[in-house]
Amino acid sequence: MGKVKVPALQGVSFSIDKGEFLAIFGPSGSGKSTLLHLLGGLDRPDMGEILIDGVDIHRLDDGKLAELRLTRIGFVFQFFNLLPRLTALKNVELPLAIAGVSEKETTERAKKMLRFVGLEARATHRPYELSGGEQQRVAIARALINDPKIILADEPTGNLDTKTGWEIVQLMKRLNEEKGQTFIVVTHDPRIAEEASRAIYLRDGLIEEVKENNRGRRA
Amino acid sequence: MRVGKILSIALENLKQRKLRTTLTTLGVVIGIAAIIGLAALGEGFRLEVKQRMEAGFELHVLIIFPGSITAGLGQPFSPTDVSNVRGVENVSLVTPMITLPTAKVNKTNGERIGAFTVGAINFTEMQAMLPERFKLADGIFPTADENDTIVFGYRAATHNGTAVVDIGETVNLTMKIETGGNRMTINKTVRVAAILQEGGTAGITNFDYWAFIPTRTAVQMLGGEERYQMILVRVSDPKVSEQVGDAIEGKFDPYTISILVPSTFMQQVDSILNLLQVFLMAIASISLLVAGIGIMNIMTVSVMERTREVGILKAIGAKSRTVLSMFLAEATLIGVAGGFIGIFTGYGLSYAVANVLSRVMQPEQQSDTLFSTPGRKPLTISPVFTPEWTIAAFVFAIVICIIFGLYPARKAAKLDPVKALHYE
Repeated sequence: MGKVKVPALQGVSFSIDKGEFLAIFGPSGSGKSTLLHLLGGLDRPDMGEILIDGVDIHRLDDGKLAELRLTRIGFVFQFFNLLPRLTALKNVELPLAIAGVSEKETTERAKKMLRFVGLEARATHRPYELSGGEQQRVAIARALINDPKIILADEPTGNLDTKTGWEIVQLMKRLNEEKGQTFIVVTHDPRIAEEASRAIYLRDGLIEEVKENNRGRRA
Repeated sequence: MRVGKILSIALENLKQRKLRTTLTTLGVVIGIAAIIGLAALGEGFRLEVKQRMEAGFELHVLIIFPGSITAGLGQPFSPTDVSNVRGVENVSLVTPMITLPTAKVNKTNGERIGAFTVGAINFTEMQAMLPERFKLADGIFPTADENDTIVFGYRAATHNGTAVVDIGETVNLTMKIETGGNRMTINKTVRVAAILQEGGTAGITNFDYWAFIPTRTAVQMLGGEERYQMILVRVSDPKVSEQVGDAIEGKFDPYTISILVPSTFMQQVDSILNLLQVFLMAIASISLLVAGIGIMNIMTVSVMERTREVGILKAIGAKSRTVLSMFLAEATLIGVAGGFIGIFTGYGLSYAVANVLSRVMQPEQQSDTLFSTPGRKPLTISPVFTPEWTIAAFVFAIVICIIFGLYPARKAAKLDPVKALHYE
C-alpha cells in the first residue's frame, strides 16, 4: 500500500470575464476551495494553467506570486482571518503597509475604505470587539484596499447569520457594480448563486453544471 | 514593506506578550551584563595590578649582574665595563655598586644591626638613579670624598618602629676578605650619616634592609681594587629597555652577564592578565549563548502559535522575505533592548562587585609580596569601561539574537500559505 493521490480538481476549465460575479457552488470536498486557492496563487496546480490577463500565474516565482496577490487579488475568508492583535483600521492598512505605501497615505486610504463598508466608527476596535458581520466587512475592506481587479471569497457568508450574510452579499454586489471588480465566490449559499452573473457547480473535482444568470450580468 | 513599519509591527507583537518578551530579554540582559561586568572588572584589575607593578618596579632601571643570577655569579665588573655601559644609546645614567656580603655592622656595645647586605655606592648617582626610592629620612648623604660614613635603609635602622641607630652614632663595620689564599678580617669604625625613607621593593632588590657606604671606603677596605658586583642602568624610556638590554649584552662576551629588565616582566604579567580577561569573557559569552537558545526556543513556539497569522499575511501578499524580516525584527529588538539594559546592568554590577572585592582585600590580608609598596594601600579595583567592549557587547547581543532568531524566522517564512491558513 502507499498513499493514494486524490486529485482535488481534474479537467476544470473555464474563463471569467472582467467584472463578472462568479459563484462556485458545490458540496464539501468538491474542490471549490482548492480551485479558489489556485486562482489566487496560494497553491500551485500539479498540472494545467491559470491565466490572468494572459499570463500563467504559476510560472511566476514565489515572490512575483506574492506581488500578484498583493496588487491584483483580494481574499475574503469564511473565518474572516483578521489579525487578532490589530485594530480594524490596522488590519485594513496591512496590504498597503506590505506594499510599502507611506504611513500617511495608508491611514487615509484605510479610513476611506472603512467608511465605504460602513465601519468608520469601529476603526479602533480589535476583531474580538466586532460582530461577525463587522469582521467580514473589515476583511472585505482589507481585500479592497489595494484596489485589486479580482476578489476571491471563500464562503464569505458561511460563518454569518442569514441577515448579516445577506448584507455581505449585497455589499459584494454593490462593489461589483460600482467598482467593476471581478468577484469569484465559493459558496454553499444558494442566494449568492442566484445573485451571481454565472454559477459553476462543482462535484468531485469536475464541473457539473454552469448556470448563466442574466440578472446582474454586466454587459 | 518599509523597515520602520516592520519594526513597529514587531514591537507591537512583543508588547502583546509582555511576560514572554521580558523573560527572553532578561536572558540577553544577564549575558551582556556578565560580559560588560567582567570586562570592566578585568580591565580595572589589570590597571590596578599594572599601577602597583609600576610603583613596585623601577621600570626605568635595569640591573646588570656578572655571570648568571641562578647558576652563580661570575667575575665582578671592572671600571672599564662600567664606562662601556655608559656608552650605550638611550642610557641616561649608570652607577655601579660593590656588594659586601660578608660585612657585618655592630654597635659599639657589640649589638648587631640587622642589615642584610652592605653595598658601596656613589650616593649622588644613586639618588638620581632611584629618585622615588632613595630618599633621606634623616641626616645628610655622604659626599663622594667621605670614607668614614654609613647610611642605613629604613628597616635596617629601625626595629618595630623604633630607631636602632641615631644619626652621628659610631658603628663598627666588620668584613672578611680573602687575598692570595689568606683570610683576614677588616674592621672599620664609621659614623651614621643618614637613614633612608622606606622605599619598598625595586625589582627584586629591597634596599630597606641594606646599609650603604661610599664606594671609596669599600675600595679602600678591599685593598684598592675597584670591582663591582652590580651595575644599575637608567634608561630614558622603559619602552626601549629591551633594546638597551640587548645593546649592553653586545658590549660583553656572550653569556657573561645577566640583565634584569623589569619592563619585560611587566609585559609578561600584562599578557597573562590579558589572557585571564579573554578567559573571563569566554565564560560570560556562554551565558549569552544560553540566552540565544532561549530566544530560539521562544520564537519557535511563537512561530507555531502564529502559523495562521503567517498564512493570512502571505494570502494578502506578504513575501517570504517580509515574513522573515518581521520575525527577525522581533529577535533584533530583543537584542537591542537586552543589550542596552545589559550594558547598564553590567556597569552597576561591576561597581557592586568591585565594592565587595575592595572590602574583602584589606591591607592586613595582603602578604608582604613583590607588589607591596610604601604605605601599602588596600587593593582597590575600580571598573574600567572601554567603549570598545561596550560596543562589542552590544553588537554581540544583536548578532546572537539574529543568529538564533534566524531558524524560527525562516521556518515562518517557508510556511505554505494554504496549510498555514487552515492551521488550528
